Amino acid sequence: MSAVLKWGAVMVVVAGCVGYLIYSASGGASEYYLTVSELRSHPVYDQDVRVAGVVQGDVLHPSTPAGFGPLTQFSEKDSTATIQVVYRGPLPDIFQPGLTVVAEGRLGADGVFRARQVLVKCPSRFSTSPYTT
Amino acid sequence: MPVALLDFSLYHLILAYLGSGALLAALIMAGFAALLSFWAGWVENLVMIQVGRRAFYAAAALVVCASVVLEAGLLTHDFSLAYVANHTDLATPMPLVAAAFYGGQEGSLLYWTLVLGLLGSASLVASASLGPRLAAYAAAVLASIATFFLVVLVLVASPFDLLFVTPPDGLGLNPVLRDGGMLIHPPVVLAGFASFAIPFSFAAAALLANRADAGWIAHTRRYALVAWSLQSAGLLLGMWWAYHVLGWGGYWGWDPVENVALMPWLATTAYLHSSQVQERRGRLRAWNFGLVILAFLLVVFGTFIVRSGVVPSVHTFAISAIGPWFFAFLGVCLVFALVLLGLRAGGLKSAGRPAAAVSREGAFVLQNMLLIGAVAVVLWGTVLPLVSGLFGQERVVGESYYDRAAGPLFVLILGLMAAGPLLPWRRAGRTSLRALRWPLVAAAVMAALMMIAGVRSLPALLAIPLALAAAVTCVVEFGRAIAKGRLAPIISRRRRYGAYLAHIGLVVVVVGVAASHFWQQEKDVTLTPGQQVSIGGYQLTYAGMEQRQLADHSELVAAMRFGDRTLEPARATYAGLGGQSLTHVAISTTATADVYVIFAGANSDGSASFRILVNPMVSWIWAGGIVIILGVVLGNVGQRRAAPVPVLTAAPQAAPS
Repeated sequence: MSAVLKWGAVMVVVAGCVGYLIYSASGGASEYYLTVSELRSHPVYDQDVRVAGVVQGDVLHPSTPAGFGPLTQFSEKDSTATIQVVYRGPLPDIFQPGLTVVAEGRLGADGVFRARQVLVKCPSRFSTSPYTT
Repeated sequence: MPVALLDFSLYHLILAYLGSGALLAALIMAGFAALLSFWAGWVENLVMIQVGRRAFYAAAALVVCASVVLEAGLLTHDFSLAYVANHTDLATPMPLVAAAFYGGQEGSLLYWTLVLGLLGSASLVASASLGPRLAAYAAAVLASIATFFLVVLVLVASPFDLLFVTPPDGLGLNPVLRDGGMLIHPPVVLAGFASFAIPFSFAAAALLANRADAGWIAHTRRYALVAWSLQSAGLLLGMWWAYHVLGWGGYWGWDPVENVALMPWLATTAYLHSSQVQERRGRLRAWNFGLVILAFLLVVFGTFIVRSGVVPSVHTFAISAIGPWFFAFLGVCLVFALVLLGLRAGGLKSAGRPAAAVSREGAFVLQNMLLIGAVAVVLWGTVLPLVSGLFGQERVVGESYYDRAAGPLFVLILGLMAAGPLLPWRRAGRTSLRALRWPLVAAAVMAALMMIAGVRSLPALLAIPLALAAAVTCVVEFGRAIAKGRLAPIISRRRRYGAYLAHIGLVVVVVGVAASHFWQQEKDVTLTPGQQVSIGGYQLTYAGMEQRQLADHSELVAAMRFGDRTLEPARATYAGLGGQSLTHVAISTTATADVYVIFAGANSDGSASFRILVNPMVSWIWAGGIVIILGVVLGNVGQRRAAPVPVLTAAPQAAPS
């Protein structure tokens, strides 16, 4: 019987540790996942966020100073708000105006979003615009 | 509308009707098998139990027919079928046309059902030895799962829907999927998911029949191993594909799609270990039922997440009507499993004394708790956007969350991998603890060497020495066996030594993952022709770029000189697919590191931009994966099925009771 209690205690300790690990890790490492209008109405400057919006037609690739990666400027928009995004690095293959992208990075005081990473969400995994029956 | 105006040749009609007819008939047979088997098991009517089983075989045969029809439609380019037109075109190479069978939503569900039907039938053939009632309930649960999939296939996502107008050509496969990896990664992952339904069905049947013995475990051991091997291979193939084809420089991104494949693997790993405790020591009965049920629920949950798009993911989901169906199925399975476990909890008291803390079974129990802890960490990271969205602003976690929360658990599991195999069953005495000195010494020496080499990262100083210790433990075990009688004991106890080989493979994977995680280097550069760049001690020289025209796409290829080799990272553009581009990374692989070059783009001034990474020891991950699979296969070839009663004498160190 005491062994059962002992294993019960071990289980409680393990569960407690896992709970603590989850709690402490998710506190520091989680980022807000926002739409463009959410970020515009409640700007967050002091931490990394992810912002989802549709790429507009103003994608620019200004010539880049040597030693840095390629620079891309574009704006992201949802139904009501727009934001300028600057990103340095290789873009996802299917990046193009009209697609929903998630930019991960930080909003600058000048209102420009500096992305560390740009991810594309595309409407379908296996085909772009399937025939329907 | 008169039929003559429609582009329906007789052949098209025959294929579509044959396919949907086979699915409908399979649905009826599976539903019949489920109901009949439940009833026949309840009243123990031996004839009806057999009829129910045969009805399941018939349903499986009909699913095979439907699969053959779909494959025929694909291979004959029958674009009147919406599925064929949406996933292939005339230019797609034939192997990929055949692979489109599981490349789309509807086809992948049919493939799931096909694997379930075939493996389920195989598992039922010899099930009578478990007793008529358990066998009947197992057939009933398997048939119920098949019924669910067939309902979805018939009502919501039929692969045999016809288009009103047959297009001259199909849409083709996304270029990202036009790769050899497409031929093996998806079917392996899906088969791994589907095959875990078999241990689940027999576990549920044992609970329904109120049988707490280990018979169901012995009977489904092979299927659990098959499921685990397929899941392992599927994960590794997915990592390989992401690394070589998707070309973002890594192989694992903690994306929901990856997480939902990892969680069942963790739970299945836990089950493979804890089931031995029940087979040999008659313990952990309720725990094993719980684990099998958890693993299956995680599979269903994963399928729901992947197919419904409820969680933001980089992977893109075909958002479709089947999400709610899987949600309902998940709910039904959860309630069924909880009610069943609750009703039978009283009868699951373990035989014998509880495990001593320092013993083989003690190590297994602790390892199980840690693996389930890891499942909890990954699950929380996966559902956090959903949960936080309910209570306020949606939040997501990135890699650092998993590093901090799951990392310590994985390190502890490595420690148990080093100690557990050397501990005897029942209780470890002083002599058996002395066996631990070799892995301890190896870990200490490794840690000291790493300190001398200048490594100061605590996670690295724990992970790599412990991985070495786990490998040394396995080598010690092989050494003991060889000292006893050369290869004979290894061959006669190959189940055990196969597992140690798999452990060694996993250690090799862990070393590859740890090294590439801790010491990856990355550099974004813009270079003019002739310019050199240095990263991680490697020198690369950009030589220039050229445009190449290929059959269905054009490629802008950059030449990067690296030693006496030329790496050719490229960007391909598919004019036929709205100008979609695709990055081809160039990788130079050695045993110690991969040099990984991504061509980010050409600039107007003639320079080119690259992201260059040095990924240490990534090739170890793939090599270790092969060793794992080899271990599982060699350990089980020609192995007679274990007797359904626990054989205590099979444990070499077990004291006679």
